[in-house]
Amino acid sequence: MADLAGETMNGGGGGGGEIKVGVGGKTRVGEEGGVGVGAKIRVGEEGRVGVGGKTRVVDLRSDTLTYPSLGMKTAMMEAILGDDVLGEDPTVNALQERVARLLGKESAAFLPSGTMCNLIAVLLHCDRRGGEVLVGDNCHIYRWEQGGIAQFGGVHSKSLKTHPDGTFSLTELRQAVRADNIHFPRPSLVCVENTHNMEGGKVLPLSWLDELSVTCRELGLPLHMDGARLLNASVSLGVSPERIVRDFDSVTICLSKGLGAPVGSVLVSSAAFIERAKRLRKGLGGGMRQSGVLAAAGLYALQHIYPRLSEDHKHVQIIAKAVNECVGGAVTCDPSGAHTNILMLTCDPARITPAQFCTRMEKVGEGEEAALGERVSCRLISINDTTVRLVTYKDISLDDVEALVKKLVYVIKGIA
Amino acid sequence: MAAMLFVMVGGAVLPMLGSDIEGGSLSMGALEDGGPGGAVPAQMTVSVEEGIEGGAEMEVVEMKHSPEKKRRVRIYSQKFRKEWLHLKEFQGWLTEGITDDRAHCTVCDKELLAGKSELLKHSRGKKHRTRAAKSNPNPPPVQHGLSRVIDEDGMPHLLRIVDLRSDTVTQPSREMKKAMMEATLGDDVFSEDPTVKTLEDRVAQMLEKEAALFVPSGTMANLICVMTHCWGRGSEVIVGDQSHLYLWAQGGMAQIGSVHHRTIKNLPDGTFSLNEVRGLVRDEHDPQSPLTSLICVENPHHNAGGKAIPLNWMDELGALCSELGLPLHCDGARLINASVALGTSPARIVQACDSVSLCLNKGLGAPMGSLVIGTKEFIAKAKRLRKVLGGGLHQSGIVAAAGLWALDHVAPRLSWDHTHARALAQSVCEEHSSAVTVDLKDVHTNVVLLHCDNIRVNAKKLCQRLASVTDEESDELSEQIVVMALAISDTTVRLVTHCDIRKEDVRSATRKLKYVIHEYDNMMYLEYKISV
Repeated sequence: MADLAGETMNGGGGGGGEIKVGVGGKTRVGEEGGVGVGAKIRVGEEGRVGVGGKTRVVDLRSDTLTYPSLGMKTAMMEAILGDDVLGEDPTVNALQERVARLLGKESAAFLPSGTMCNLIAVLLHCDRRGGEVLVGDNCHIYRWEQGGIAQFGGVHSKSLKTHPDGTFSLTELRQAVRADNIHFPRPSLVCVENTHNMEGGKVLPLSWLDELSVTCRELGLPLHMDGARLLNASVSLGVSPERIVRDFDSVTICLSKGLGAPVGSVLVSSAAFIERAKRLRKGLGGGMRQSGVLAAAGLYALQHIYPRLSEDHKHVQIIAKAVNECVGGAVTCDPSGAHTNILMLTCDPARITPAQFCTRMEKVGEGEEAALGERVSCRLISINDTTVRLVTYKDISLDDVEALVKKLVYVIKGIA
Repeated sequence: MAAMLFVMVGGAVLPMLGSDIEGGSLSMGALEDGGPGGAVPAQMTVSVEEGIEGGAEMEVVEMKHSPEKKRRVRIYSQKFRKEWLHLKEFQGWLTEGITDDRAHCTVCDKELLAGKSELLKHSRGKKHRTRAAKSNPNPPPVQHGLSRVIDEDGMPHLLRIVDLRSDTVTQPSREMKKAMMEATLGDDVFSEDPTVKTLEDRVAQMLEKEAALFVPSGTMANLICVMTHCWGRGSEVIVGDQSHLYLWAQGGMAQIGSVHHRTIKNLPDGTFSLNEVRGLVRDEHDPQSPLTSLICVENPHHNAGGKAIPLNWMDELGALCSELGLPLHCDGARLINASVALGTSPARIVQACDSVSLCLNKGLGAPMGSLVIGTKEFIAKAKRLRKVLGGGLHQSGIVAAAGLWALDHVAPRLSWDHTHARALAQSVCEEHSSAVTVDLKDVHTNVVLLHCDNIRVNAKKLCQRLASVTDEESDELSEQIVVMALAISDTTVRLVTHCDIRKEDVRSATRKLKYVIHEYDNMMYLEYKISV
């Protein structure tokens, strides 16, 4: 039995975790998972710990599972704090300024979540009665925010058909922006999502964004970008975030996803818009006190995690390539469609449904340990009746990716 | 009088209380309405010295048995050793840090890596030696609670700043931060954060309700409670006309919840007439009326001066609500304070309530967070609302851990805040002034309301004066004391004690209050006209 020293970190997922072990001497836990003499041990779902023979859990359900590293937590604890409702938290102020600068906008507001950022943006842009927002029919605001904009803002959504690349037709947009007629709500805002989550983390083409902004200017409509994973888009394109959002009136950016902070998102726009946003934030209940403790994690993330986002993209490519090489498999994917840290796997429902596939990937089947050399459990999410999504992030190491690939190939080959 | 006006905008205080940030100047802008009246806006530049010191990390290098004799180096995590506290070089400034691989320099107020050579290097540094000499020319103890601030003219001042604006200004202590660091986390949106779950279970149990939900703020907690109770269209809530929910939540119930309200007159003790409640309940067959769906009570009642609501009245209200078939919600932002004041458990106070909101970020000292407490079914709906409002957080256990620590370590000492509040009120009473008055028996918890006569002084002026230091004053008191308070009306100044207010702060604040009141009492007639 190995001597256990150092920290236990919950690596996400039910019961999953990781313990860094040093046999004798001192062990320092680093971001990558620590170095020391001794084995890296995964705590399996049974919760038992020991050397060897236990399950490696690779949890790819979402990049929201990112765990704050020791360095990040230390930064959080050393942050200077104040009451942010009184505008006195210097760490929150520093984060807001930093993000505004990064996106080339005047001002920013630190909020508890991306949902609240989008909600506030829509409610502020559509602050007169009878307004309508034009959105892609597969975007997060339309599908995954519980219809908050209607429930709280009285805002109607006009959905536009989303193309597989995450864009929508500008012709359809023009047609949807209807003339002033007593039967119609008033178009008040156009929203886009970049990277587009449900389309597989797709990066919207810069040329399309530029055309879109010209169109919206002609139509007299403001533009909001749900840029929850904007920095993934920026890294993928090799273009600054500022350039991507140049023509957008407001932008949401999440710190709690691939950037690895435990909590928080930022809404970015003009100074006047952000002042109104802070007001609405308070009304919604998002006014936090010494939230610098969370903002510090965001600052740390921008400094240390943002520069390594391309690793997550590389990992997706490794996985995609391996799946693609299983010719004739029941589960397929398109590596060229994987722009960032998200991969969509398509299941042939006649052979295996997404739900069945997810269950199979999570289970350690008979003979599998012998075949793979270790027990591997992978957690994925079934999106609809043909698609499974996986998301890479900083806590998924290359080792994990290799284990996942072994398992994927094994499972796919095992499907009739 | 030659008054030097110090406006303690938050940033001026923080560099001394927290750790260092990157060197440079922080320019603090005007403080806008921090509340009604607010403090006086002014520009103050605070000079913050230095960045964070730390030792170099050594990397692990492959061991090679080569003629070049490459050394194998291990990454060390040196832990703090208590025996160092007895070493001469470390006395007077060294204490344990927030984690066991850190140390803390009380003179520089800085976290350092806990390596003996690192600490020796720090102690020999010019900046440390200068500070050690300046802060106290004689050897230890180092005075706590003083802030070094540089004014617009570049003059340094050592001030005692007593921030009584609100108990929301509480900062997490080192031990609280340690607990936050050590918390096990998960994604709470997937309901996988064990620390959040522990907190929710703990608070539900404490209030003897079925379940609880962790939310970012008290405003959201109350909003969620109202909306959950008023799940259907056309609802109306009966709420006290001096309550926080009615006055200070930005009309969220209407704006966000589409819920109408009907106010009932709050009595000075925070209660309202139960007979009047009956009269306000709507006739459900009347198509002109919304449907009464909820009755709200606030305990302790903040605007009434932090008054703990009498237990028997709470029980009677509960009985009335049962009779009327209406749910009862308690805005218990400072419920634990009420529990301490009444000498009864929080569960007993809210026995008749269907839902409760409770704040961790006020007197309990956590950096953020509140809870909604109710039945399992209620909390399931509340969770849904929390998500759509944007309060679904991910690894929020890191802040929930602060809440847990607060319940263990801060809640048991809340009576001290009440004692401190009474001491402040007492000091004002002892002046027998007509300019500034307070009723000692109104001080139930950690809130003191000072009433200004509006002739010699009004609330805004009193706040300004308390935040200023004159030359005569600092000569007489031998101390430069700044008391920060909030004007909550034209004639009322509110002081709120909390866990960051120490005995020394209370002593200084009482001296300051007496001095300032004395000044007003001695004011000549001509000055009345000028000051007001």
